[in-house]
Amino acid sequence: MKNPFRKDLVSRSRPEPCTVVIFGATGDLTHRKLVPALYNLQVEGALPAGVKMIGFARREKSDEEFRQGLEKLNKKVSRSGHDEAIWAEFAQNVHYHQSEFLDLDGYRRLSETLDAIDRERGGHGSRLFYIASSPSFFDDILENLKQAGLNQCNCGEGCWARVIVEKPFGTDLPTAQHLNRVVNRTFEEKDTYRIDHYLGKETAQNIMVLRFANAIFEPLWNNRSIDHIQITCSENLGMEGGRGGYYDKAGALRDMVQNHLLQLLSLVAMEPPTDLSADGVRDEKVKVLRSLRQWDTPELVEQNVVRAQYVAGHVDGENVVGYREEDRVDPESMTESYVALKILVDTWRWSGVPFYVRMGKQLPKKATEISIHFKEPPTVLFNALSGGVPGGNVLVIRIQPDEGISLRMVSKIPGSSLRMEPVKMDFHYSTSFGKGSPEAYERLLLDSMAGDATLFARRDEVEEAWKFIDHIERAWHEVKRPLKMSEYVAGTWGPKDADDLLARDGRKWRRL
Amino acid sequence: MMMQESVQDEYSLALGKEVPIASIDKELHLLWEADKASTNASLINLAVYSEADGAIIRNSEVVQAITREHACRALLIGIDREASEASIRAWVTAHCHLSQGRKSVCCEQIAFQLTGKATGRLRNTVFAHLNSDLPLVFWWQGELSPIFGERLYSLIDRFIFDSSDWKSPLESFRCIEQVMEEVETLQPMDIEWTRSYHIRYAIAGLFDDPLAMRAAERMNRVRIVAHPKHRVAALQLLAWMAACTGWQRSMDLGLMASSPDDHYYFESREGVDVTAVIELHPEGPPIRLIEVSCADCLVSVSREPGSAYLQQKLDAEGHVIDRCTPAGSEDASELVMNQLSMGGKNSLYRMMMPVFLDLLGGEPELPSTMSVR
Repeated sequence: MKNPFRKDLVSRSRPEPCTVVIFGATGDLTHRKLVPALYNLQVEGALPAGVKMIGFARREKSDEEFRQGLEKLNKKVSRSGHDEAIWAEFAQNVHYHQSEFLDLDGYRRLSETLDAIDRERGGHGSRLFYIASSPSFFDDILENLKQAGLNQCNCGEGCWARVIVEKPFGTDLPTAQHLNRVVNRTFEEKDTYRIDHYLGKETAQNIMVLRFANAIFEPLWNNRSIDHIQITCSENLGMEGGRGGYYDKAGALRDMVQNHLLQLLSLVAMEPPTDLSADGVRDEKVKVLRSLRQWDTPELVEQNVVRAQYVAGHVDGENVVGYREEDRVDPESMTESYVALKILVDTWRWSGVPFYVRMGKQLPKKATEISIHFKEPPTVLFNALSGGVPGGNVLVIRIQPDEGISLRMVSKIPGSSLRMEPVKMDFHYSTSFGKGSPEAYERLLLDSMAGDATLFARRDEVEEAWKFIDHIERAWHEVKRPLKMSEYVAGTWGPKDADDLLARDGRKWRRL
Repeated sequence: MMMQESVQDEYSLALGKEVPIASIDKELHLLWEADKASTNASLINLAVYSEADGAIIRNSEVVQAITREHACRALLIGIDREASEASIRAWVTAHCHLSQGRKSVCCEQIAFQLTGKATGRLRNTVFAHLNSDLPLVFWWQGELSPIFGERLYSLIDRFIFDSSDWKSPLESFRCIEQVMEEVETLQPMDIEWTRSYHIRYAIAGLFDDPLAMRAAERMNRVRIVAHPKHRVAALQLLAWMAACTGWQRSMDLGLMASSPDDHYYFESREGVDVTAVIELHPEGPPIRLIEVSCADCLVSVSREPGSAYLQQKLDAEGHVIDRCTPAGSEDASELVMNQLSMGGKNSLYRMMMPVFLDLLGGEPELPSTMSVR
């Protein structure tokens, strides 16, 4: 039975009442992102009445201590400010459950608590488990949820048990496959939500709208009109806050490219889905990932992938140390803080169109964007002009921080002679829509409560992405002759080798 | 003479530089050239129309607030139709806001003050200054007048009005209904309807609860307490409930109404008789209470006078939910902003409209002294 009063009230999936259990509840993600996201949803009245949140973690804490910690940070980071009255209401439904992740008894006690909540609430029984702990506990948490019988709903028709798994989802294909087996032994695939917060961002969601709701773009979205595509994610931070320990085990390729950037690539490259259902969209995305040409020999990796580490330099006017001098980083580390790849998508649509992807730490500024470089027009008409036509059209989709879309085109300079210059049409979300966008986690939490998995990665998507990444990792780390590790000065746009990667094809990186 | 000068000063102070009609475009260019650091942003044409004296000055402040969230080209239109002489004056200015503490984002505003017979000049002169290709959102303030004719509404994409301002809502709503039939692309946006958005949202949220849902088919009583000025909002709420649930008016029982409150009788799809009562209360918010109940379940959303929150309550078989949620603003400009944020085709309003008109037209309107408690 459907709630008749929800009809047409908002044009989005309807969230359902449930209890959200967060594993790793004393961590930064819970305090900075998840709880403020739930609070903001409550402020907007978007949370269904009766939603409760239980924080599951190892430290000894009372409910009150837990709430106070959350409140302290919510005051600092909440997008919509902090309203004492709303917080008081919200906090009433927040509880703390102390247990070791490996202690099955703790899960049984959790089960009793959840049952008590359900009895008090009149038998909803729907539960959303959010695994925000260290990835090393993912297996144990899932296994114990199953042992305690929490992986299924026992409250009759309509209730559900779902799990959200934070990144990283595995560290390579075998570990991802293993984790997928564990997850699928515990929860059905339809109840498994592998989160990639990039997909919760407005601009990422707007890629599909831009492509499929604008008749002028789709006819040009292919190898007849597009020369190449660049995806850049640059960060102006290094290994601050003790991040070096984790990062030195992961590296740029696994930390960012495997998930975020390949997800963006698949949104740009996918065919129009038959419908906007979760599987309709994900079927098309996975086809793109399956079509990636595999760089499966060291030679191919050497030709098409550049890795690099930063050395001491200046970022934002500050001196910064080199990657190998960073806190908790191995001085002999062979982990890349920068990666640039040429990716080929072997489909009818994209044959011959390279996708250049780059990601790096300690670059000059923070920015994530996709640029679509259209082919240059035939120069027949203007070939007599000195200098010719200055470049082709470029459509830029800015993901962060200044979300928006711009289109570069060529225009005549006023005057009696025919001279041309590129000009830019620019659309900024911040100036056109004054209202701030909701945080990605708000959208994603609401979707998972509503059972809408469109913006979450499916098992086959994750595994296909790892297949592509693993060949490169193997070439880097498992061959007798290690491939080159380039260097770049912190505060620059990466190594010369990355420029050469495009220069060999007669192209260059877009200036950000 | 002195009097006229002081009025002119007041206009210029609020509306910017007075310019000849023929030079509006040129003056707008000069405006932007004077401040190259600012970004001109626009997603819509927003026309604000009023026939009230001095409204154009107040509306400039309202538009200033709206442009914080909605980039637009604003056209302020003030008309004195009773004036004997026909005249038209115009002013240009820009409303600027600092975006994310960095850049100055500005929206241009053109204000027109018309007197006398104005229909032709409104269309020919005022609408010649629309930003091309951007939709026209037209905010009509006050009672509908003969100016609202085919030559005007055929230009409009979204029509904003506040039905709580209307003395004879039935007549005006019949007009809106006719326009909606005639121009299917015109989206009506009633501020009175937006006023009840948070309440509808809160009611829907409570019915997400399985116990409330189970009881939905048995619900047989609705009670709405509203401010007399907002009887239309109460009727729209009731019409929304009836349209969502499929309740049909039950005329036989309707004839039995005898109390000073508005009573309405429905029959649900399951054959349950539903009694609805609208009580008018002269103090407090537009909608003070909405209560839907049956023998074993009560769902209610209420708002205390002066409170910024709605209280959501559910009491079903001993299971109780009691929580507060923001009530939203009653300020017209904020409600317009909310409506603009929602975008869309306002399909719910179209769905509710036939039932609402039936309720509005089926009951004689009671004098406020009779219906106020």
